[in-house]
Amino acid sequence: MKQKNTLPVVFLSPAIAILAVLALVPTVYAVIISFQNRELSRPDGSFIGLANYISLFSDRRFINAIGVSLTWEAVTVGMTLIIAIGLGILLFECASPRMRSAVCFLFLIPVILPRVSAAFVWKFAFHPLYGIITYPYKAITGQPLDLLSNPLTALGTVALVDVWQWGLFFAVIVLKLLETLPPQPFEAARLDHAKTWEIYAYVAIPMLKAPLISLAFVKMIESLRAFDLIYVMTRGGPGIATETLDMYAFSQGFIESGRISYASSMAVLMMVATSLAFTFLWKRVKS
Amino acid sequence: MSARSPGRFIGRIILYAAAFSAVFPVFWTLLNAFKNRVDIVTPTPLFFFTPTLDNFAYVLGRASVFEGLVNSILISGASVLIGAVLGLPAAYAIARYPNRWSHDIQFFVLSLRFLPPVAIAIPLMVIWLDFGLYDTRLSMTVTYTLLTLATIIWLSVPAFARVPKEVEEAARVDGYGPYAIFFLIALPIASRSLIGAVAFSFVLVWNEFLIALMLTTSDAKTLPIVASELTQLGRDVPWGVLNASVVLLSIPPLLFIGILSGMLNSAFKRKTS
Repeated sequence: MKQKNTLPVVFLSPAIAILAVLALVPTVYAVIISFQNRELSRPDGSFIGLANYISLFSDRRFINAIGVSLTWEAVTVGMTLIIAIGLGILLFECASPRMRSAVCFLFLIPVILPRVSAAFVWKFAFHPLYGIITYPYKAITGQPLDLLSNPLTALGTVALVDVWQWGLFFAVIVLKLLETLPPQPFEAARLDHAKTWEIYAYVAIPMLKAPLISLAFVKMIESLRAFDLIYVMTRGGPGIATETLDMYAFSQGFIESGRISYASSMAVLMMVATSLAFTFLWKRVKS
Repeated sequence: MSARSPGRFIGRIILYAAAFSAVFPVFWTLLNAFKNRVDIVTPTPLFFFTPTLDNFAYVLGRASVFEGLVNSILISGASVLIGAVLGLPAAYAIARYPNRWSHDIQFFVLSLRFLPPVAIAIPLMVIWLDFGLYDTRLSMTVTYTLLTLATIIWLSVPAFARVPKEVEEAARVDGYGPYAIFFLIALPIASRSLIGAVAFSFVLVWNEFLIALMLTTSDAKTLPIVASELTQLGRDVPWGVLNASVVLLSIPPLLFIGILSGMLNSAFKRKTS
């Protein structure tokens, strides 16, 4: 009935070819470099096998960076979802249609800001002497409050900015998801004298399980890109308290010694770990 | 919904507080951008002051900021254009002509988002150095095309899938060929969502930081890099100038907020009806 259609091949092949080249060549290169001892100042390295990988596991800063990265993932993903679900339900329950659209619009501002801007806005707000957030503390106690220079609070303070950007944005999505639910289960639960929180805990949230898991998935991927925030706000400091894996790889490859091969072996490990974890999660989510 | 007003009242207070927290830090930065240094470095935050345009004049007069702006516009613009020209047809082919690789292709495109940016930036730096293209607009554009192309395909497949099949069938009966259907029927009908996808990819590369930091040193530096360098200045920080440069950097993405929130609305509305 149909004659042979050339459109799929003509439309798909250039895009897929470019993506494949742009993605695969660097990946293969990263693996090759990681088996060498290349440095920025010395472009011609020789192959040293697995030496980079072996020394990584006795590198205390690397172990520390794994811990920081895992903490960062857990804190930002968890807090983002809690804030998003909480505010999303409040929007659905308490706000008039006009208030909903106005608040939703404002909630989009933080996530659209460039990360560098968001990081600076908050870095200045947390400035111990001139910051607007730390001002009340300073006014009451007479002491400056320096959250970003304290190893105990620095990571949490940076995480706050990430949650500010993503939690509010996801609240808008949670609201849209709630709006797509059919009203009957809500009415049934209300007829059974369910309390408002019970309706959400036992009816609405379970009905939205699949999209909420996808949201968590998206946030986990996004949380891997925390570099901009950390770079502008703390540069991995104080000490190495906020040094995530990408921050450490960057400082090894660029700032300190220019050991690109060593940094590359770290990048390869990250690539393998995230690909395995996300492929596994993706298959679980799909099934 | 319920008649119990105290709970509703508290809920609204929380929402107002959250909305305030979304806007106030940005507003405060905007305010500081118009302050003289003495009005910023005060023991008590100042809300009323004599505004000045010196900060913006200084920022726009600086060669590095101007070059960063030009680089950002050229690199983001070119990579978004290439991404749209190649990505929109590819997304249409995936949405309308499913074959046995469609799923794998979609997973491959999505999996590009899993790659840690450092993992791409380090080898690319070596590659561009070897080619002699390090720190050029060309190499940055090619690198960013990877981001825009993947994002545009990923977001446009559902947009094309929402175009009613009957409309395309009718066009086929009227004698339109497959290419005419794409250009004259599918593209215009899906255009609103597609503009959202393209705008999103623009915001993504405009805001991109880590790759630009590693792949540029002077000639091809983008605006986020220039702005971040200003924020790392030493003790005698020109705070007003900093705030002004942050405002300048944030304006283009914020211009797209209307388009993006429209895309969000239409993405969820269609699902229900």
